[in-house]
Amino acid sequence: MDRWLTFCMGMWLCATSMLALQAEDKPKKSAADVLDAASKVDLTLIKFDTDIIPLLEAHCYSCHGDKRKKGGISLTKYKTDHSVLEGRKLWERVAAMVRSGEMPPKDFGDQPTPEDRELLASWIEDAINRIDCSVQFDPGRVTIRRLNRFEYNNTIRDLVGVDFQPAADFPTDDIGYGFDNIGDVLSLPALLFEKYLAAAEKITEQAIAAKPLTGGFAGYNGSKLTGDGAANNEGESWMMTSNGTVSVKHTVTEPGNYIVRVRGYEHHAGNEFARVSLSLDDKELTQANVPGTSSKPSVVNHVVKLEPGDYKFGASFLNDFYKPDDPNPQNRDRNLVVLGLEIQGPILTTEQPPPTEIQKKLLFRQPKADLSDARDCATDILGRFTRRAFRRPVSREELDTYVALAESVWQEGESFELAMQIAMQSVLISPNFLFRMEQDQEPAPGQTVYALTEHELATRLSYFLWSSMPDDELTQLADQHALRNGTTLRDQVQRMLRDPKAQSFVESFTGQWLQTRSLKALAPDPKLFPEFDDELRDAMRRETELFFSALLTEDRSLLDIIDGKFTFVNERLAKHYGMPGVKGPEFQRVTLDGVQRAGVLTQATVLTVTSNPTRTSPVKRGKWVLDNILGTPPPPPPPNIPELESQGTLTGSLRERMVQHRENPSCASCHARMDPLGFGFENFDAIGGWRTKDGEFAVDPAGELPSGERFDTPQELRAILRQQQTQVARCVAEKMLTYAVGRGLEYYDKCAVDTIVNRMEQNQYRMSTLILSIVESEPFQKRRAKRGDQ
Amino acid sequence: MNSQGHISRRTVLRGLGTAMALPMLEAMLPRSVVTAAEVAAPAKRMAFVYVPNGVNMADWTPKDTGSTFELPEILRTFEAHRDDMLVLSGLTLDKARANGDGAGDHARALSSFLTCSQARKTHGADIKVGVSIDQVAAQHIGQTTKFSSLEIGCDAGAQAGNCDSGYSCAYSHNIAWRTESSPVAKEINPRSVFERLFGDPKAPAQDLAKAQQFRFRRSVLDLVLQDASQLHKKLGSTDRRKMDEYLNAVREVEHRIHRAEHATTVAGIENVEIPTGIPKDYQTHIRLMADMLVLAFQTDSTRVSTFVFAGEGSNRSYPFIGVPEGHHDLSHHGNDAGKKEKIKQINLFHARQLAYLIERMKGVREADGSTLLDNTMLVYGSGIGDGDAHNHDNLPVLLFGKGGGTLKPGRHLQFEKETPLANLYLSMLDKFGAPPVEKHGDSTGKLLEIDA
Repeated sequence: MDRWLTFCMGMWLCATSMLALQAEDKPKKSAADVLDAASKVDLTLIKFDTDIIPLLEAHCYSCHGDKRKKGGISLTKYKTDHSVLEGRKLWERVAAMVRSGEMPPKDFGDQPTPEDRELLASWIEDAINRIDCSVQFDPGRVTIRRLNRFEYNNTIRDLVGVDFQPAADFPTDDIGYGFDNIGDVLSLPALLFEKYLAAAEKITEQAIAAKPLTGGFAGYNGSKLTGDGAANNEGESWMMTSNGTVSVKHTVTEPGNYIVRVRGYEHHAGNEFARVSLSLDDKELTQANVPGTSSKPSVVNHVVKLEPGDYKFGASFLNDFYKPDDPNPQNRDRNLVVLGLEIQGPILTTEQPPPTEIQKKLLFRQPKADLSDARDCATDILGRFTRRAFRRPVSREELDTYVALAESVWQEGESFELAMQIAMQSVLISPNFLFRMEQDQEPAPGQTVYALTEHELATRLSYFLWSSMPDDELTQLADQHALRNGTTLRDQVQRMLRDPKAQSFVESFTGQWLQTRSLKALAPDPKLFPEFDDELRDAMRRETELFFSALLTEDRSLLDIIDGKFTFVNERLAKHYGMPGVKGPEFQRVTLDGVQRAGVLTQATVLTVTSNPTRTSPVKRGKWVLDNILGTPPPPPPPNIPELESQGTLTGSLRERMVQHRENPSCASCHARMDPLGFGFENFDAIGGWRTKDGEFAVDPAGELPSGERFDTPQELRAILRQQQTQVARCVAEKMLTYAVGRGLEYYDKCAVDTIVNRMEQNQYRMSTLILSIVESEPFQKRRAKRGDQ
Repeated sequence: MNSQGHISRRTVLRGLGTAMALPMLEAMLPRSVVTAAEVAAPAKRMAFVYVPNGVNMADWTPKDTGSTFELPEILRTFEAHRDDMLVLSGLTLDKARANGDGAGDHARALSSFLTCSQARKTHGADIKVGVSIDQVAAQHIGQTTKFSSLEIGCDAGAQAGNCDSGYSCAYSHNIAWRTESSPVAKEINPRSVFERLFGDPKAPAQDLAKAQQFRFRRSVLDLVLQDASQLHKKLGSTDRRKMDEYLNAVREVEHRIHRAEHATTVAGIENVEIPTGIPKDYQTHIRLMADMLVLAFQTDSTRVSTFVFAGEGSNRSYPFIGVPEGHHDLSHHGNDAGKKEKIKQINLFHARQLAYLIERMKGVREADGSTLLDNTMLVYGSGIGDGDAHNHDNLPVLLFGKGGGTLKPGRHLQFEKETPLANLYLSMLDKFGAPPVEKHGDSTGKLLEIDA
């Protein structure tokens, strides 16, 4: 047998047996025919010690054994099935190397027969994917997820109330496992953080009207100040051990009101605080106490009206206290430390602009004019804001750091509103906001997994169905620990799906699963498809979204994606489809009786994203069906495909040329699966229009699948696909679970997927069952404890 | 995952050590550094420009080697610049090959182009490839310029679906990798690049408020750094990796803010066109981005840049030059003469855009009278040789500029089969003045043949 043919078939077995988490009691018909010999081997009858170890002895141990450990790898220590399962990462690699023919190396004498090679690889793959669903299985560990662009926009809309797509110029989120919400893949480069910071500033400035901060800052410290009396320069600061003054000459160029400010702290002694005097040209402006400490210095501000000119600004220590014989060493010496003198201005406006509507909600308490209760107000306001932004309760200490930041702003003479802007900016760039944190918990004794907190569960729910933060109702339920009570989860899921915010789920999930998002970047050849424009592009996307949305809101069967006899069109799209009688730009629901279309496979979205700019690609279409509907992706083409020149020039219709291509054995087995599926849709051109001729050639949509099933029309093909209902349900369940938990599925997720699929089978494949089963599944509800996180 | 991280940290420390030792040890330093310190020779710059899907090698590789060779059709685009160009033939990117990982040549080609490391085949979990050479150089530059490096491109990247045969899209869209698991995102909007470099030209003069704003910004950043450090302690290892990315990003932005206080201005630089957004027209887009790259180098806002014309495996069509088909689709030409002709047209189009960038670099005069290009080392190439064969040896690689007098351009060099592309980078790093590293990716030595 040709080596590449073996390779391809092998890869296929691999794909079907391990990747797709297929229910092994329902072998796909298609597999059997192509791979007669191998598929008849019942892997459960193969024993590690009597069947596999001899193969390893003959072909592997001499390099990867006790004596030589090439590449640091020894296989001899694996004595049982179970030990292989425990070393699954290594054995996964072994299987891949054996399968690809890379191991044993070509110059190694004892090459296994193709059958032995196949047996070894298949057995390993089977062994490392066995899992017992009757005991607590691994719910996985989701890596903390950064909000992606879509989620960021939605969350800002719900948190702050501004809806201006601040993430529009954020860099594209990378995709893993087909989705852009995968924790492991969402990285945070500096460029993005820069944009987070700029967005936080823009958002808060738009939400809260504050008089602009005072400009013209000039700060002096260290050697920039001059000392008189007992003022000693100590690096950046000045220490006044006895009465003394620090001063600086500063030129004012604009007339106006200026803030003169001193920062400093005292060494406390005696019964009063250190006292400082601020002066202008040696004339006192004001006096104030300096109760601050080195860790929390005081700020003294004074506003003075100045004309342009040169001035001397000074700060003096007034009340030295020295009692070296006091029994309490803390009460012997009062000093003043000046950290800096600042002049800032001119103050442009003193008027506070009227509050925005959003502001009235965000800043629900107003401090008194003298700001004496500003701390209380800030604590209330920021308390609510951080709880919502972090999607969980917030401790007092945590909150205090944000209040302290705000306080430092109003202490400098800036407005309370500005202080709120700045504190909220730091909330919006905090990792607690940007990431959906899931804190580690200690599992119960003897357990390795734990249930997520209710706030974490509420957060997973809301990002799954709304791509946004939990609303007040969800948060309250989590606060009361009531989310998992009785039918609460079920009721909440239903409520959430009815909410207009569920449109985000439709947009995001279909955008990626059915690839409506890819439409945006496509450019069909304008000469061949002059009718393709942005309006049509948009209509295609809307159709697919509306269709999926209808499955959800009407709680229809998932299998409608194969043959649902209805869709949504407006005049533009109806014309494209050749359907008469639809007028206007509004979309309307139409039934598809007597039309060649049904389900998503004949929607222009899918047909266009699987085409090249100038022609259809049956291969891409076939692969798309295997990937996204049947969940049996073909293995990637073998590396180093031989150049096609040996085949001579390919001629004839696309189908004829593909047949010639398939004569190449390294391509044949996989294309035998992809191509017929794709050719079944050849009546639809590269932008989804109906056709009966492709150039000069008549379209022939007939085909035969590797299982031997034949079809002559797209309807017949759909009918064959419809019979694969369990497989279709499993495929979509896997994709949706990946989307919902934000990680790629692992072998141990098979148990969860089995349960979801079983429940669907019992409930006519209803969408509500699919979604609720995902929400109630172990991977969605639980997390593996940190100990196991290597 | 940590071994690579340690290496880069050591590199940084060595870099700092050298800088601090400078005043005392001048006599012991290599000549180039002394000169730089004394007469302030213009800074050296390093840029990498990437094109996807390989090229038509028959119209690329000159027949003769040395300095008298005839330019094949594609390279003829650079006729005016042949004295500033090294044609480097025979270089290999072994780590872009399958090496047991099966299909995925496109994802590997881009992700290994500057890392010269094997990408771990994964859809998402445990992304890993290696630190890219531009980032090694950027770490050396560190705090000297506002941006340690500038990443730009013209492709947003996939919006949906899978990218290449079991590889996460992170591999086929990111050429620059700060650590082996953290890609550096690129900017595709020329307007945003401009604003990052010089501020928003539309914003009212904020000079007065600026300093104060920076101070508050710093407090804002300090607070979240605290948050992140506390979280860091509580998290498991994969989560912690995300927090590392966060901490690094915050520190880098702090540094940029600090540099922005002494902001660069465009005053005095002539012919600056302020971009308004992403142009619809591809050529205009590339050229605007090229302008931004030149501006960034000219104002010493950065000294290291990567520029990806299109993502690897790109199926972009080029109807404006008579190629309505998708690039990737065409690149599997099956030796069809018509398809190869169209591929060549695409190669020529890209080459013309590069020629524009080279011209711009030549047009910028530096303080000592040399041109920007004289002080630059610009690599242009693809991680795939021929798009149909998907081969990773005999890659199309050009090196433009004189590297501050360290390169001898105007030649076609043919290297032995399987000479690692990484060897070129190791040599460039030397010439750049970075502390020597023993190895980059799969390097086996240096390419001394390019030396002046």
